[in-house]
Amino acid sequence: MAKIAVVTDSNSGITQAQAPELGIHVLPMPFMINGQTFFEDIDLTQEQFYEMLATGADISTSQPSPEAVMKLWDELLKEYDEIVHIPMSSGLSGSCQSAVMLAQEYEGRVQVVNNQRISVTQRRSALDARELAAKGMNAAQIKDTLERDKFNSSIYIMLDTLYYLKKGGRITPAAAAIGTLLKLKPVLQIQGEKLDAFAKARTTSQGKSIMINAIKNDINNRFGGFTERREVRLAVAYTFDKDAALAWRDEVSAAFPGYEMHMDPLSLSVACHIGPGALAVTCCKKLETE
Amino acid sequence: MSLQKIDAKMLSKMFLAGAKNLESKKEWINELNVFPVPDGDTGTNMTMTIMSAAREVAALGENADMESICKAISSGSLRGARGNSGVILSQLFRGFTKVIRTQTQLTVSVFADAFDKAVETAYKAVMKPKEGTILTVARGAAERAKELAEGGGEDLETFFRAVIEQAEYVLSQTPEMLPVLKQAGVVDSGGQGLVEVLHGAFDAFMGKEVNLDLNAPAAPERKTGAGSSYEAQANAEIRFGYCTEFIILLNKPFNVKTEKDFKSFLESIGDSIVCVADDDVVKVHVHTNDPGMAIQRALKYGALSNMKIDNMRLEHQEKLFKMSESGKAEVKAVEATGVAGQPETSPAEPQMPHKEVGFIAVSVGEGVNEIFRSLGVDYIIEGGQTMNPSTADILDAVEKVNADTVFILPNNKNIILAANQAAELMTDKNLLVIPTKTIPQGITAVINFVPDISVDENEQTMLEEIGNVKTGQVTYAVRDTVIDGKEIRKDDYMGIGDAGILAVGQDMAKVTEEMVAAMVDEDSELISIYYGSDVDETAAEELRDTLESAYPSCDIELQAGGQPIYYYVISVE
Repeated sequence: MAKIAVVTDSNSGITQAQAPELGIHVLPMPFMINGQTFFEDIDLTQEQFYEMLATGADISTSQPSPEAVMKLWDELLKEYDEIVHIPMSSGLSGSCQSAVMLAQEYEGRVQVVNNQRISVTQRRSALDARELAAKGMNAAQIKDTLERDKFNSSIYIMLDTLYYLKKGGRITPAAAAIGTLLKLKPVLQIQGEKLDAFAKARTTSQGKSIMINAIKNDINNRFGGFTERREVRLAVAYTFDKDAALAWRDEVSAAFPGYEMHMDPLSLSVACHIGPGALAVTCCKKLETE
Repeated sequence: MSLQKIDAKMLSKMFLAGAKNLESKKEWINELNVFPVPDGDTGTNMTMTIMSAAREVAALGENADMESICKAISSGSLRGARGNSGVILSQLFRGFTKVIRTQTQLTVSVFADAFDKAVETAYKAVMKPKEGTILTVARGAAERAKELAEGGGEDLETFFRAVIEQAEYVLSQTPEMLPVLKQAGVVDSGGQGLVEVLHGAFDAFMGKEVNLDLNAPAAPERKTGAGSSYEAQANAEIRFGYCTEFIILLNKPFNVKTEKDFKSFLESIGDSIVCVADDDVVKVHVHTNDPGMAIQRALKYGALSNMKIDNMRLEHQEKLFKMSESGKAEVKAVEATGVAGQPETSPAEPQMPHKEVGFIAVSVGEGVNEIFRSLGVDYIIEGGQTMNPSTADILDAVEKVNADTVFILPNNKNIILAANQAAELMTDKNLLVIPTKTIPQGITAVINFVPDISVDENEQTMLEEIGNVKTGQVTYAVRDTVIDGKEIRKDDYMGIGDAGILAVGQDMAKVTEEMVAAMVDEDSELISIYYGSDVDETAAEELRDTLESAYPSCDIELQAGGQPIYYYVISVE
């Protein structure tokens, strides 16, 4: 059986501390803040990031340098036979495109998965990849399995403010057109592709019920319904406000009794576009492994 | 000599005389409104409705046949229908003319059948018919007519007298049927309007000289023109002669301060100002006597495009000329003369890009209009409490929205029926009425629209969500009255909620706070305040601060609504 390494980036929410435990290798995402480069979870903590965001620092995201990616791969290939590389969604970043290009030099030993995940859903893919490897699949088979499954996930995010969304450019015109005269809480969705507008709410409780209903709807119509085997995985995510997130997790748990509920902070490259105070819920269909 | 039948010529005369008589009593009927809110409700609405039909009838000339007169009455009143009472009146005419259009001579028994059909049609048009209203008065009259016809009476004079007598009797009983009328000490205003129409028609029948010239002033006490004397109105209204429109392609940021400066500059040279800024363009509309100055100033902010300047005085003359030729005064023309007192704010684009779903909102006040626009509403019909748009106004607006399905938000309970009527008349587009009764309900409806889901699902969500908004509106009383056990004096401030009066008093701030207290409960999260054109910003900010400390668990949002009549429109959700 081939020895397979699973690589993802820090958008998965997997911290450097958790990575060895999970048997996953995590590339830190670089951020340019006021002209200086920082790496997520290496020399930039969540707290420092939000502090700088609040002071209006000029923050831009970037993709891992080819050098950093290849260095990690080369290192891993000394020990492993193959690599499954799971970058953040190609709809949100060029990371995937670059990785595909770099992988061409590796004669099939590095398989880049383009399954358009982000945050907790990306984390799920990394864990799935580990499990598939343990079942004896090779890197190419894992890539195929994960990519076949790419549309089986949904993310809904309610924003506290439209400010950062307008500032950043990574949204579709539909989302950008949301009115700004009233204080609205936009609910965005990620279905593989880019962040898009889903609905608008005036109050937090309205926004929460919109998201819960959207997930119920997805489970019923797209992910095979509510079954005893609970073939979907739910997770919640947030930016900055952990107390609000804990309360949100309880509400989602109450709406979906019996489902386990993972919770992570949203990765900083998402946070930098949507700002603090966002709440999200996601749902992925469990991988069908025959 | 007893007269047993009348012909088309007499019918036409009677109808016009009925219309004229209603018009002359308009102001008086307005004052019969139950809520002492400052508006021009029932009398104005019914008059505008019947006048729209009268103009079509008059245009036919003296020798028109029954069929064409009926068509003119029916379609004219339908298109001109405004407000609930106007819509009901138009339905009465529609049913009435259905019966008589095939006749050449009208007898007692034809009239009895026609009254019967009129009442049946009108009852069907109202979802929950209420007794003690114009409907009851009409029904009373129709029942009496039926009795008389069945009794074999053939003399029309006796017949008309008895029918009108019965209508007046039922009218006098309306306070016994509707407690609100009794408390306010008035009879139903719509019923009164109907009685006036009957009186006028009867006078003409009796040969009384009636001035049927629709352009003659109807009554000396009339304060405002309602369509018929548009000429005098118009010349008085056009103070600024050039309608000037253009778009500024900004070459530097246009912040709140610049916007304010620019607006006050425009105000110094004209009126009917619309100045809508987006990220990189500003749409400008102003009526001024010196378009050059507006353009000069605008050039400071960037390049200009889509420039359009019209001489409104000249155009107006042409319009009047055309109208006098055809004998018709379209509602649209009345609007253009500024009777509504508001500029037409939705820029008349040649053709909006086609979309699947469009939105129309009835709204008044630049701030509120702007909120609707920013939420994606395609067209604003200026109107509200004091100015109910007609079915025709709504149909015109729908024409302008290039979408397969159009949602309309009436935002006032008196406009819902006219919107429903427009939806029925609409053939080439799917017009759906979301029956919003207040501005905040309308805002909630459009916020909840989601482009990705089906029209049916959207309609369903919007209908559900508008039920979750509570609205309170602060205005002043136009006369002394008693409502819901509360004694109200003229010029008192009143806080009116969804189901009645919540607060009354002489101190606006106190009344407003008391009203809000009656609306907020433990589930409330957001209080939105839209302050009107007669409230200054400082007072509104004080109110916000007071509410913020009174309800720490609620978010308070303050918006300049700019609406007339209502000092504050406040929603709690």
